[in-house]
Amino acid sequence: MSSRSLSVIRSVLPPAVFGVAFIAAWELVVKGFNLKPYFLAPPSKIWQKFTENIDLIWGAAKVSGTNALIGLLLGAFLGMVMSFALSRFKFLNNLITPLAIALNAVPIFVLVAVLNNMFAITSEVPRRIMVTLVVYFIVLVNVAKGLTQVIPTHVEMMKSYAASDTQILCKVRIPNAVPYLFTALKISAPASVITAFVSEYFGGSQNGLGSRITSNIANSKNAVAWAYVLGACLLGLSFYMVSSLLEGVATPGGRAKRTREDR
Amino acid sequence: MSAIEITNISQAFNLGMSNQVDALTDINLSIASGEFVSLIGPSGCGKSTLLRLIANLLVPTSGAIVVNGKSAKQARLDQDYGMAFQQSGLFEWRTVAKNIELPLELKGWDKTRRQARATEMLELVKLSDFANHFPWQLSGGMQQRVAIARALAVHPSLLLMDEPFGALDEMTREHMQSELLSICRASGTTVVFVTHSIPEAVYLSNRVVVMSPRPGRVAEIVDVSIEGERNDATRDNAVFFQRITAVREALRGVEMSDHVRGIEDR
Ligand SMILES: Nc1ncnc2c1ncn2[C@@H]1O[C@H](COP(=O)(O)OP(=O)(O)OP(=O)(O)O)[C@@H](O)[C@H]1O
Ligand SMILES: [Mg+2]
Repeated sequence: MSSRSLSVIRSVLPPAVFGVAFIAAWELVVKGFNLKPYFLAPPSKIWQKFTENIDLIWGAAKVSGTNALIGLLLGAFLGMVMSFALSRFKFLNNLITPLAIALNAVPIFVLVAVLNNMFAITSEVPRRIMVTLVVYFIVLVNVAKGLTQVIPTHVEMMKSYAASDTQILCKVRIPNAVPYLFTALKISAPASVITAFVSEYFGGSQNGLGSRITSNIANSKNAVAWAYVLGACLLGLSFYMVSSLLEGVATPGGRAKRTREDR
Repeated sequence: MSAIEITNISQAFNLGMSNQVDALTDINLSIASGEFVSLIGPSGCGKSTLLRLIANLLVPTSGAIVVNGKSAKQARLDQDYGMAFQQSGLFEWRTVAKNIELPLELKGWDKTRRQARATEMLELVKLSDFANHFPWQLSGGMQQRVAIARALAVHPSLLLMDEPFGALDEMTREHMQSELLSICRASGTTVVFVTHSIPEAVYLSNRVVVMSPRPGRVAEIVDVSIEGERNDATRDNAVFFQRITAVREALRGVEMSDHVRGIEDR
């Protein structure tokens, strides 16, 4: 067996075994102690409900997923634009950074309630704005770091070649920021999905995964609610995997380089 | 014509603050065109600082520097020199070949010409097989050779090198020394070369500038003047050993006056 497939097995096997054991234990506990279905549903029941309701879950996932995706793209775009402005104009940095810290301290979901009042009751816009905001700050902080925290020798070297500020930006700062951007995206991708769900708890149309979970719990349909939770997990996971895949494609050699100290 | 004219240079960091460091005081040095000059001295005596002043990466606190008959700044803007830094300073997101091409890109060379020159340089430093590797896949000595190749790629009339061979094994080091000498001889390149190795300084240089620390100043200039072309036979030459002794004596004087370590006897 090649060492590559061995290392894949080594990294996949432990969590897989743990996951199977956990689900088995869950099933046994529910069956063994004869727990009431409204208290905790067994995994087998959840899976049954999941397959039964797959169309509904897929429909709800599309609603939440679209909100998350639009917010993610918009937030990442705005965050990048702003980080460029920050690295270019130092005074903006002094202006924005305290603001960003202050905004981070506000329980940001409160804003959804406010935004919901500003738009039509069925509008998806407040949720998308929420996701945009969350992603915006993650991307802004990380990319700005990547653009400014460059190795001093690199800048000196570019100066020794009589490079202009624009050339230093293109050949040093931007390449240096790329791994930071992907770190930000890997954090943002699942965060955007979670934000999209949670935003649904604050009213608006009852069409996404988040609102379906609450409404099913309210109706004591515990197993169905769990089936929607499973759908939510899968959606978050797929967002993460796509961002992780993109990173692999965009940065040859990946982040291994960051683990070497001698630069 | 002199390639570098340094008059009354002083350099202080954090000037006027409690942590002021007088890195250099009253440096006067004139380097002729085509000359090979080494800077040697205890760690912290200001060798890198002097090099960065010549490169116009630092502006001196006082004094004047003329490079190729113009201000140091104009010489930098005209890309008159190539520089190899103490830290190799390679870009980890660029392959070895792309790292060497960087200064050529900034000069506006087209792709085929850049690639041809990079290939030529990689042969010179014996790294042709590693053109498409990334710097972090190379050993420290190999990275240093890439940095040297990059500094030489533009065929500059002036080379500024800060301990470029520090991480090389003895055989590679001697090979690189010979290559450097033959390149400079062929093209009449002026070199300012920082090193901690006395034999290396003597073997390569027309003159060895011995510096003393705190504050950094020129303690003595040893004229090497070994007859004829330098080659492996030079290393067994009696004059060669005399000059090594002369530099060592000068350094000992420096070390005695200030108990600083940092000179190897290689
Ligand atoms: N940017 C800086 N700010 C403050 N002090 C500095 C700075 N750069 C250098 N120095 C100080 O100037 C002195 C000379 O430093 P320099 O790097 O030129 O020494 P060096 O001779 O190259 O030493 P080494 O052989 O260890 O490379 C040192 O005391 C150092 O602390
Ligand atoms: Mg130094």
